[in-house]
Amino acid sequence: MSNRVSQAPLALIVGRDPRNASDTDLALALMARQDWALAEAWRRFAPMVLRTADRVLGSRNEADDVAQEVFYQVFRRARTLRDPSSLRSFIYSFVVRVLKTELRSRKRRRLLFFSTPPAADELLDGASADVESRELLMRFNALLDRLNARDRLVFVLRRTEDMTIQEIAATMDLSISTVKRAMSHASSKLDLWIAADPGLTAFVETQRRTR
Amino acid sequence: MKRPADERPDTKALAALVELQRDATKPRSAAELDRGLAAVRARVAADRLRRPILLPALAVAAAVVLVAAAAPRLWRFVRAPSAAVVVQKIEGGSLLEGGYLAQSGRGGVAVTFSEGTRVQLAPGTRGWLRELRRDGAALSIENGAASFQVTPDPARRWSVEAGPFLVTVKGTVFDVDWDPTAERFDLTLRRGRVEVTGPVVGGGISLRAGQHLAIRLPLAETVITEIANERPAPPEEKPATGAAAVPVPPGRAAVKRSVARAAPEAAARAKQADVRGWQAWLAAGQWDRILADAEQAGLTATLEKASSDDLFALADVARYRHRADLARAALLAERRRFPSSPRALDAIFLLGRVAEVGDGTARATALYDEYLARAPDGPYAGEALGRKMILANDQNDHAQARAIARQYLLRFPSGSYATAARALTREP
Repeated sequence: MSNRVSQAPLALIVGRDPRNASDTDLALALMARQDWALAEAWRRFAPMVLRTADRVLGSRNEADDVAQEVFYQVFRRARTLRDPSSLRSFIYSFVVRVLKTELRSRKRRRLLFFSTPPAADELLDGASADVESRELLMRFNALLDRLNARDRLVFVLRRTEDMTIQEIAATMDLSISTVKRAMSHASSKLDLWIAADPGLTAFVETQRRTR
Repeated sequence: MKRPADERPDTKALAALVELQRDATKPRSAAELDRGLAAVRARVAADRLRRPILLPALAVAAAVVLVAAAAPRLWRFVRAPSAAVVVQKIEGGSLLEGGYLAQSGRGGVAVTFSEGTRVQLAPGTRGWLRELRRDGAALSIENGAASFQVTPDPARRWSVEAGPFLVTVKGTVFDVDWDPTAERFDLTLRRGRVEVTGPVVGGGISLRAGQHLAIRLPLAETVITEIANERPAPPEEKPATGAAAVPVPPGRAAVKRSVARAAPEAAARAKQADVRGWQAWLAAGQWDRILADAEQAGLTATLEKASSDDLFALADVARYRHRADLARAALLAERRRFPSSPRALDAIFLLGRVAEVGDGTARATALYDEYLARAPDGPYAGEALGRKMILANDQNDHAQARAIARQYLLRFPSGSYATAARALTREP
């Protein structure tokens, strides 16, 4: 965008309504590094990115950081988008990549600094969930933390984001059989760990009865 | 969710925990989303400030940088102020933990610093004192207007964050206004120089005394205008039609007054019949004021009598406010009443933009074709060709889109649609 110095400069600057732009139009604008495109991409896709990151990481603060990193990367590397009509998948591929990196570095941080998983309060963020639900969620996230990054991502995308095996395979650049193996591995590990935690099982049963 | 036959079902406990996690995720509020976007913008803006360095030149450049960097650092070290800047006096409020400037009355907060700098937050403005250093201070404006009178000192550096924008200051007098809801940033520089960085402004803008910078993020517009010297607003600035001025929120009053002084010439022209001086209001961001003025005078009469400048201003604000019918009517009036003016040609292109929203792709494309035929080297030729390309692609007419893309690249290899055109020409 050029900057003008004049007495009445606005008349010849073309305005646009970003909300009317199609995803393809938006992708092309991102590729051309037009400034409005970043805000519009954020408006359109940030809720989806944040929701996935919340569920994968179990932490709103970390999810915020991930979303910012995703959109920064998307804007910086938009020119590598080969098919402007597939902007959503393009963004999702960055989500998966950044989340994987975040999960791995979180694991390293925990090993090095003995830090603890985020509290469920952080994820629930003041939601009116009861104490038991918060406790359950915290313990479930602690179990998810024990999975490796790939298995955890596959499990969450499949179970909470309702993605198909094929979609996960395409997004994570894995074969379908690898996704199935990861899914099966994550489920059986989680079942095992839940069964080995009588407190957690009892909590779940109580919750199920009260619902 | 359908599961493949070979996918094992979850146990009851695992299914319950998954459901709990799914339900626990709450969407972000608008304010949280705004904060996230501001953070991304700040990163992108910071990125733009970094220039790519070619590897072969790296060694030479590094040596030059080291030598160049040493001198001012040494100079700053020698000249560094002996004492940190401290807050000397706060009027109309207090400084809370975290640096928040809380207002106690209705007159705004004024902060005076030890070396003489004075900052005045307008009533209702939310601001923070972020940092006090030996060589200056950092403040931020979350919402509203503030005036700064920074004591000149080459050894000190002040910075003001307003939304995603960063104003770097030496000795100077200026007003800042940030409206996060409308994503509008205004800076009026009365004395000295400032540098503004942030989204839209690319590598940063240096302003000199007497300039006003207006950035409208949703429109991706950056506009610099000259302002007149300090003096009371002339009465001629009132609309010729006698319309009441749109009330200015008290928090923005200081800035709006200075912006209103932006175009004394326009105000003088407004004395003449049928010239309303709307260009000045447009430059000051007073869109609704223009619409109110036009409606009070009667839209039909306005379209028949307004000057070419005013019609264009009306068309612009109508587009910004999504009043496509009014924008179209103003542009058509421009064409009909001033057929031989260059703006009549511009109107064809802008009618195309309006048509994209309401009339459909075919009409928009026809208007772009007409513009390109009548003004092949006009100021909007690149835009018209680029829009045609996008529209063709949106209509899945990929062959046509590619043909236009090739034509575009021949004519505008570094135009704003060049990247998109290259992407289209690469496709099979």
